[in-house]
Amino acid sequence: MPRPHGLLRAGFPYLKTIGMRRVTNTPVDVAIDGDEVVYVLGRAGEITKLSMEDDILGVIAGGGSDEGKFTWPVSIALDRDENLVVSDEALNRITTLTKDGEVVRTWGDPGSAEGQLDRPAGVAPDAEGHVYVADTMNHRIQKFTADGEYILGWGRHGSAEGELDMPWGLAVGDEGSVYAADWRNDRVQKFTPEGDFVFALGAGGSGEGQFRRPAGVTTDSDGDIYVADTGNNRVQQFSEERRYVDRFIGDATLSKSAREYMLSNAKPNRLREMAVLEPQKRLRNPRSVKLDAKGRMFIPDYMSFRVQVYQKEVIPLGPSGIIPPLRSPTLQVT
Amino acid sequence: MADGRIALTAHLLRRAGFGATREELEEAAARDYEAVVEDLLHPERFPEVDEDVMGRYFGWDITTLGAAPWLYRMANTRRPLQEKMALFWHHVFATAYSKSEHPVTLNRQIDTFRRVGMSDLPTILLELSRDPAMIFWLDNNENHRGEPNENYGRELLELFSMGVGNYTEQDLKMAARAFTGWTFTQPIPLYPHGHYQSSFVYDPEAHDDSEKSFLGETGRLTGEDIIDIIARQPATPRFIARHLYNFFVADEPQVPAWSVEPPRDPDAIDAMTAAYFESGFEMRSVLRVLFNSDSFKNARHRKVKSPAELVTGILKLVGTHRFPQPGFEAYAEATKMMGQELLNPPTVEGWHTGKEWIDGGTLNERVNFAVNEVAPDKPGVQSFIAGLTSGKTSLPPDEMVERSLDLAGPVAVGKETRAGLTRFAETSGGLSFATEEESSLSTAKAARMLQLVVASREYQLA
Amino acid sequence: MEGNGKPPVLVVLQLSGGNDFMNTVVPYTNPAYHDARPLVRVKEEEALAIDDTLAFHPSAAPLKDLYDRGTVAVVQGVGYPNSSRSHFRAMDIMHTCEPVALGTEGWVGRAIRELDPKKENVLTGVNLGRGLPRAMSVPGVPVTSVGNLDSYGLLTGISEERQREEALDTFKSMYSPAIGSGPVMEYLAQTGMDVLTGADQLKAAPATYESDVEYAGNAIAGSLRDVARVHTAGLGTRIFYVQHGGYDTHANEMPDHPVLLSDLSGAIMDFMQDLRDHDASDEVAILVFTEFGRRMRDNGTGTDHGSGGGAFVIGDRVAGGLYAEYPPLAPEQWLNGEDLRHTYDFRGLYSTVLEQWLSLEAAPIVNGQFEQIRPFVEAA
Repeated sequence: MPRPHGLLRAGFPYLKTIGMRRVTNTPVDVAIDGDEVVYVLGRAGEITKLSMEDDILGVIAGGGSDEGKFTWPVSIALDRDENLVVSDEALNRITTLTKDGEVVRTWGDPGSAEGQLDRPAGVAPDAEGHVYVADTMNHRIQKFTADGEYILGWGRHGSAEGELDMPWGLAVGDEGSVYAADWRNDRVQKFTPEGDFVFALGAGGSGEGQFRRPAGVTTDSDGDIYVADTGNNRVQQFSEERRYVDRFIGDATLSKSAREYMLSNAKPNRLREMAVLEPQKRLRNPRSVKLDAKGRMFIPDYMSFRVQVYQKEVIPLGPSGIIPPLRSPTLQVT
Repeated sequence: MADGRIALTAHLLRRAGFGATREELEEAAARDYEAVVEDLLHPERFPEVDEDVMGRYFGWDITTLGAAPWLYRMANTRRPLQEKMALFWHHVFATAYSKSEHPVTLNRQIDTFRRVGMSDLPTILLELSRDPAMIFWLDNNENHRGEPNENYGRELLELFSMGVGNYTEQDLKMAARAFTGWTFTQPIPLYPHGHYQSSFVYDPEAHDDSEKSFLGETGRLTGEDIIDIIARQPATPRFIARHLYNFFVADEPQVPAWSVEPPRDPDAIDAMTAAYFESGFEMRSVLRVLFNSDSFKNARHRKVKSPAELVTGILKLVGTHRFPQPGFEAYAEATKMMGQELLNPPTVEGWHTGKEWIDGGTLNERVNFAVNEVAPDKPGVQSFIAGLTSGKTSLPPDEMVERSLDLAGPVAVGKETRAGLTRFAETSGGLSFATEEESSLSTAKAARMLQLVVASREYQLA
Repeated sequence: MEGNGKPPVLVVLQLSGGNDFMNTVVPYTNPAYHDARPLVRVKEEEALAIDDTLAFHPSAAPLKDLYDRGTVAVVQGVGYPNSSRSHFRAMDIMHTCEPVALGTEGWVGRAIRELDPKKENVLTGVNLGRGLPRAMSVPGVPVTSVGNLDSYGLLTGISEERQREEALDTFKSMYSPAIGSGPVMEYLAQTGMDVLTGADQLKAAPATYESDVEYAGNAIAGSLRDVARVHTAGLGTRIFYVQHGGYDTHANEMPDHPVLLSDLSGAIMDFMQDLRDHDASDEVAILVFTEFGRRMRDNGTGTDHGSGGGAFVIGDRVAGGLYAEYPPLAPEQWLNGEDLRHTYDFRGLYSTVLEQWLSLEAAPIVNGQFEQIRPFVEAA
């Protein structure tokens, strides 16, 4: 789909919160399908299926080391066959599940040789059905067929361009480009599908465009880049050209399940009246960020046991709606 | 003499830390003893455990984590005395999860001990008195003007600073009144979105600002004043020194007996007390005197290892879990089964130490844990086996016993243990690595020998 | 209390997490129950009626059968004033009988001390599980904790039997009495030898046991089977301690709680049958307790920590029926507007079992005098 000439960024308001403690425990990642089912991957191994109305549609997978179970799951994504691909960094295993939790296939060998894995974190299927895997402790990214046949790989331990230090989240962008959250280097790197370095984004710190141990990255159809800036407890948004646009620190309200729960808990309700509630809006250790086809941004709010959802509002502009780029800023802004 | 240095350094690193790998031990033994002590006293010279890595891998639901991350830190820190002092203060200022079930404030308390544990005592007591976990544990949040709750005031004097017999009931009441209004902010409840932090808050409305007399001083005394007065009492360093002696040097009777039973080593207590006053109440200076004293150096194997010491010591010996791995919770569970659930001491008196760590059940746990951890494929066991022969192709039974005891500690054993190990070594005919078949057999025998050493009575001692 | 001349044996069965008593013995015809529990309740038509007001949960059918045989005393409204909602604190209170101060001695441990004052048998008190529950912990009172009866003992990680024997021989000589080596070393030696002795005795249990009863594969069935194996081996154990976890049903109570009740009541049924087959049921009574009940209202998918709960005394010499009173259910009588009010002090229940079953003086064990019930058949 060709990009519009430009965008009128109308807003990016908070939409809602889904999940709560005991329903969506320690969520590390989410995937959203075309039927608006949200698959919330919990660190303890379960995948909770929620509707956008916060109804529990089912729970699949679970903790353990048997096939179809997870010990230390990290990342979940839908492949082109509408199956769920999940990484497990304790079992060094990639698992493909149907949406009902049936195992389609598993693969992965521990080690550091070509095609082997040492703590696989981010998984990102591409349009051809291949899967990129962030191979954390081997400090590299590898590309596999859907069955786990090794295709290619790149990266080594370091901080120079194209080098990686314990990479975590991955995303596939336009034309198959690959974005990687280069966790311990406090930056995001963009690569071609073959692994050639395109650019790096960000540096260590807490200012605009700076990161502290970013865990997740994604892009959307406008080319915008979103980074789960985990250690700074926020998500940052950038334009395709790496321009800082906005940041999200959390604006949560109680989910439907949380409201129902609190209505039968008289004592905690009093305690909430005694407490400062502002911190409860904020993101705590968000480990990923995903966008769906409707421009809704889902942030698994890891330490707060929920998913915060925001609605992107943009209006595409044609050539008559926006002038060509300017070389310098100007104070004539009317 | 070189062997004596190894044994002395191993003793220091076991007591002032959580043991050492053989490489760490040999490296430290090659240095001046006092320089090693100075490094221990100055944790800031060494990097902290990587918090980001711990958060990435151990960051799941804090209510299910328990003490596992702390135990991991003990086993892997490059600032062992800082961590050991945090454990020391946890023993003394024993605050339990069981009452609040609020892990975030409890973890922060341990952080505070880590941060100020070697500073001056008034700072430590002030931080303690402002600590939400402690305030709730001893009901100071219920301590209001006109309706005093004496729990914190009582334990501050009785268990945290001076010991019974050094103040009157009236002093205690005054101390409690001085801490009225020291409370904490209400944390957001656990449900629906997880635990939140609480912080100290002073409520002037609840504070009793009237005149009070405490240990001979009169005025509108505040909590800060009480702490300053406590710090200046001669009884205070003697009480803390006895705790230090019990924790770092040799087992003393349990605290309630201290007012009737004299210390095992009064000279050691005197020396620490003098250092306390000379340094302006500083723990670091007291510890320096302690670790450099002959009474410390000569007190080898005169203390029963606490479960935390046993578990971390074994982890160093076998060389696993140097990086976060799944299943580490089992080690926190192991200390619990041995009678020490970290972050959840049985009462405000803390754990009863020494001989009381041992009963049939806990001894069974200790022995089985240690034996099961010693598996031939673990890196520490492999280097133990390599170190046994140090290049030679065979080792006679008597040398097998000697070398094993040395590399496992060194562990000094009595004649019964030596006889048992020697008989095992003789039955197995020593070690030989001449052929591949003999090698594999000898590897198993050497690992079994190490299992027997860690199962011994003497290995239960620090 | 001896009916068959054998010394009475008590099995303490702890339901950990806070069993939802109201969904175990259900006030199935009371509208207040159905109003408070719109989503987490037993439907009137599914309940197993005891009488017009109370019924067992349908998943507790074996317990209902035992009740119909007259061998289950349901003790209603068990609790104490100012009930703690903390699992740890509440369990501590149930274990130490100290609701105000922090107690350090457990009531079961004290009873063991009275039953075996000279410490003649390390198996007088046996805990099925690793680690010692505080109820059994009293300094100087030896109690044997058995995580797994089949692999109980020292050096069980050494799988090859001959090698393990060899290692145990070495252990024996390393822990042989070391006169003059100091009190700590001597104590360590003695303790090590005690552990070996206890393990040797317990080894006899699996070896001699035979049974036609097929226990289910769940944890509580396994634990009660272990109790049967040790009891029928005649090792002199007077108090067994068994735990069944998972009762903290904040969420998913509707699917989870019935499984617990079904496992529990099935295991008790099999255990009682096993004892009868061995002519060993007359001397055994089971006390089932939990740390608290749960809140009146459900929270959508579960129930939260509450106060008044309930207990059971089960055995062939138990006079079955309902004891104490069911807590009042009308909303205006709820404690703090949300909790079941306790009607009977748990220390009275312990006193009942201690005095009427084990023939021990209860007051020093439970820290005072408390009203007793009469749930045992009088000796003929």
